[in-house]
Amino acid sequence: MSAPDLQPERTTLLETDGISIRFGGVQALNDVNLRVDEWEIVGIIGPNGAGKTTLFNCITGFYAPTAGRVRYRGQDVTDLPVHKRANLGMGRTFQNVGLVKGSTAGENLKTAQHLEVDYDPLAGIFGSPRTFDVERHTTDRARAILDLMGLAHLEHTRVQGLPYGVLKRLELAAVLATDPDILLLDEPGSGMGPEEAEELGDLLLQLREEFELTIVMIDHHVPLVTRISDYVYCLNFGEVLAEGLPDDVRRHPEVVRAYLGDEATDDSEEVA
Amino acid sequence: MAVQDRDSDEDRTEVLTLDELIATTTDPEPAPAEPSGPTPGGWVARVAVGLVLAWAVLCYPTNVLSPFTVGGVEANAVSEAVIFAVIGLSLNVLIGYVGTISLGHQAFVGIGAFTSAYVVTEMGQEFFIAALVASLVGAAQAALLGAVSLRVTGLYFGLITLSYGIMTQESIFQIESLTGGTAGQAAPRPLGFESDFRYYYLCLLVLALVVFIDWRLMATKGGRALLALRENPRVAATWGINVKAYTVLAFAVSGLFAGLGGALLAHRDLNVVANPFDFRLALVFIMMTVIGGLRNRAGVVAGAAFFALLRNGELLELLRVADVFAKPPISLTAEVMPLVLGPVLLLLTITLFPGGFGQLTSTVGRWLRGGPFRFVKADKEVQITDVRA
Repeated sequence: MSAPDLQPERTTLLETDGISIRFGGVQALNDVNLRVDEWEIVGIIGPNGAGKTTLFNCITGFYAPTAGRVRYRGQDVTDLPVHKRANLGMGRTFQNVGLVKGSTAGENLKTAQHLEVDYDPLAGIFGSPRTFDVERHTTDRARAILDLMGLAHLEHTRVQGLPYGVLKRLELAAVLATDPDILLLDEPGSGMGPEEAEELGDLLLQLREEFELTIVMIDHHVPLVTRISDYVYCLNFGEVLAEGLPDDVRRHPEVVRAYLGDEATDDSEEVA
Repeated sequence: MAVQDRDSDEDRTEVLTLDELIATTTDPEPAPAEPSGPTPGGWVARVAVGLVLAWAVLCYPTNVLSPFTVGGVEANAVSEAVIFAVIGLSLNVLIGYVGTISLGHQAFVGIGAFTSAYVVTEMGQEFFIAALVASLVGAAQAALLGAVSLRVTGLYFGLITLSYGIMTQESIFQIESLTGGTAGQAAPRPLGFESDFRYYYLCLLVLALVVFIDWRLMATKGGRALLALRENPRVAATWGINVKAYTVLAFAVSGLFAGLGGALLAHRDLNVVANPFDFRLALVFIMMTVIGGLRNRAGVVAGAAFFALLRNGELLELLRVADVFAKPPISLTAEVMPLVLGPVLLLLTITLFPGGFGQLTSTVGRWLRGGPFRFVKADKEVQITDVRA
């Protein structure tokens, strides 16, 4: 599936403007400019330690960049805390699975709907009658999303101890429950074989249609990234090494060198 | 999978909102394999046990509607059990839901007690207004401590709460105009609840209110937010949860309960003095909550009642072993029993029964509702990570 042409007017959704961040003596990111248009799927590749997750942490608000700005829908969000950015429509997943492990899958999806749940927490505590109705609706939504992701059977199962692949899928379900406009996925395909990665690609394309999503994904599965992305950035040592259409980036000599030179990962041959 | 099914519909161009999805998703939930319910005899047994429990709580302590008279139980001691349950639920919010700790809970409770007594005696207000003021003051001072917890965590926060409790003891509780000095502040009971046994029912009503609030807290967005931020504040934040605000809110709720518990304690004794509100009381509060079973309402109530009755000697009296402990060579007064028995039970709870009393109450509760009688296992993992380092 190629980039859909049914969206004539494209607006820039997310933009980083010269993001730099230093940790002690390490320049983790250096002048990174990223642009994500609405409806796009943007892939971010790069060897381990290239600064991909750090970039996500700057975009979502976990780190304050030492220089540069993050703009979302034209609004400067650089100084906003994480939960406010979530409120604006940023959804994100984590490399090491962002779920509440002590709760059930259903509870997780209800928790993730925090912003959608339309009553004051105090009204909930003091038992306002309306909260009972809203809660029922929240439970239904949680069930619907679990069903959509093929996880309905896990509603009452505790998350702790579920297999990694299921956790990854559940995490995606949870972030969908936050009703995001943009999904920032940190290695959604980690631990997956080629077929599973293929399936994940289909799923992401479908979710984009279903929920009108814009997606930014970090992943090491270069075939997956190049297949579904509209645009790809390659990071190395905190800098943008190359950017462009997926196939161009994959063949870019610098990118090939970065992958082959620094780390001979499984993906290296596919990069070339 | 549902997604693929819907995608086969090629003409569809518009995007489904989540609510539409709910409408289109059919959930023919396969009925869970219904375990064969109890036999008629089993139901009779359940109803009988339920009645005995209800009688033990509602009638026994006050000898009301009791087919036979049982002496030896003091309504005031049982009231304390109920008040301790309120305080236990207060600590459960902090330790169980937020994953932090308060080693200065005697201050939370004491502030409630003195506030309520002051409002009634010095300001001439009704008890119910005083109790409300006491819970609000309790909530406010706890919220302050909650704000501190955002900057200091782990052992050092524990240290801060510990010193906060003692600081309050040594400063606020020594203000003569507030606390009435060594003579204490008078705290008369409200009209209609003057007698010990009526006051017991008032305590039960307040406990019911606190249990209701706690239940609604955990059944709504606030409680879910707390459980999420306790386990993984980063994930909670990406889900749009304001971690700081909810932490402070939880402290306020905890302070609300503690203030209410303090008010009840003050008026039960008719007179509040600063002495009992010392660190050893805070220690009992923590032990009864953890041993009761974190995040388990019934367990916390049972644990609190156990410790209160132990402290008052009622439990040993009931078990007819009071003499054994009181006489040499053991020579322990009931007062110190919680501090002697507590550590042993605490160790057992942490190592072998992480669900505490809650494991027992859950077992019985499930059986009473028609389930099988099988010992409920608690998960070890959750309990040990409770207090954030």
